[in-house]
Amino acid sequence: MDELELLKSHWKKESNATDKKFTSNDLYSMLHKKSSSIVKTLFYISIAELLFWILLNGFSLIYSESYTKSMRMIYGDGYTAEIFTAISYAIILVFVYLLYKSHKSINTLDNAKKLMKSILNTRKIIKYYVIYNLVVVSLSMVFGFYIVLHKDPNLTENLAHFSSAQMNSLYAVLIVITIGFTLIIWLFYKLIYGFLLKRLNRNYQELKKLEI
Amino acid sequence: MTKEKENEFIVLLEKHQNIVHKVCRLYTNNYNAHNDLFQEITIQLWKAYPKFRGDAKFSTWMYRVGLNTAITLYRKSKRKIETQQFEAFEFKISAEEYDNTEEEQLKLMYKAVKQLNDIDKALVFLYLEDKNYTEISETLGISEVNARVKMNRVKKKLKTILNP
Repeated sequence: MDELELLKSHWKKESNATDKKFTSNDLYSMLHKKSSSIVKTLFYISIAELLFWILLNGFSLIYSESYTKSMRMIYGDGYTAEIFTAISYAIILVFVYLLYKSHKSINTLDNAKKLMKSILNTRKIIKYYVIYNLVVVSLSMVFGFYIVLHKDPNLTENLAHFSSAQMNSLYAVLIVITIGFTLIIWLFYKLIYGFLLKRLNRNYQELKKLEI
Repeated sequence: MTKEKENEFIVLLEKHQNIVHKVCRLYTNNYNAHNDLFQEITIQLWKAYPKFRGDAKFSTWMYRVGLNTAITLYRKSKRKIETQQFEAFEFKISAEEYDNTEEEQLKLMYKAVKQLNDIDKALVFLYLEDKNYTEISETLGISEVNARVKMNRVKKKLKTILNP
């Protein structure tokens, strides 16, 4: 192609042009600036994600009496509640480990495709963590509602006056609340990651398309 | 990292900064964005510097980190960039060296290349830098055959942009 060859010869001449130089002082100050790369943002988001859910669980365990009471109601007085808590913390630790490993594997010296893949893998781990939490939260909401409606002495007394139609609409409202809550959080994540990784995803697909 | 290492890096970067400028020129459209991308590439180069092995050429290594930053890591930021002396530049075409038709052709070509997507631009960039298909395929992580196929498609794409 003639034009591309013409461009190449011009490009080479321009390479040697000296009108675009940063001084060593400029370069020196650049070294000490903070990066604003996708990896860094992803790292902060994953930390925020972990902290958010850990704190949410932690606070409700430590400070909420009603939460402890309902846990007792659900699991009885044995150690079941403690076992569940221990399992959930173990799962968080597994996610922390996976995220750490995944972040470590991101290497700017890899080829473009591999680099994109390792970033997308990290995003996947965060995604699984979010899904795990959303499932746990929505299940506990459903269980919680069920137990409270059936085992709370005050409530059961009040609910005894409800007709079956009223009971059904109460269930419907509770289900809608649970689904609505889960959806809103899910959409929120979709939006954050969609925005952050749109370009990366597009470029990765472009490279992957070639292999088919 | 030691001061010595830092100075050594700065000397190398200053010497080869044209590579980074060229990446920035292809992937950005204005002075601020150019400087911002330049800065991000510098940060990424510096972060990767401990992993840089002397047996690889510094310039070869810059191509990879530079392109990776431009097409994968870079996110526009709002930071302010202060530099001592740096002039904004566009593709300069000097009239003494080229006649009018050529000048016009070049302008159109640059414009066409700017319209390509990120990956296609990377291919054109490596092609203009005289990289062979082995290097192109290693930088992008695709097979050599696919790099050739892709390059042919990019050429066709450029033709279509130039002669719609």
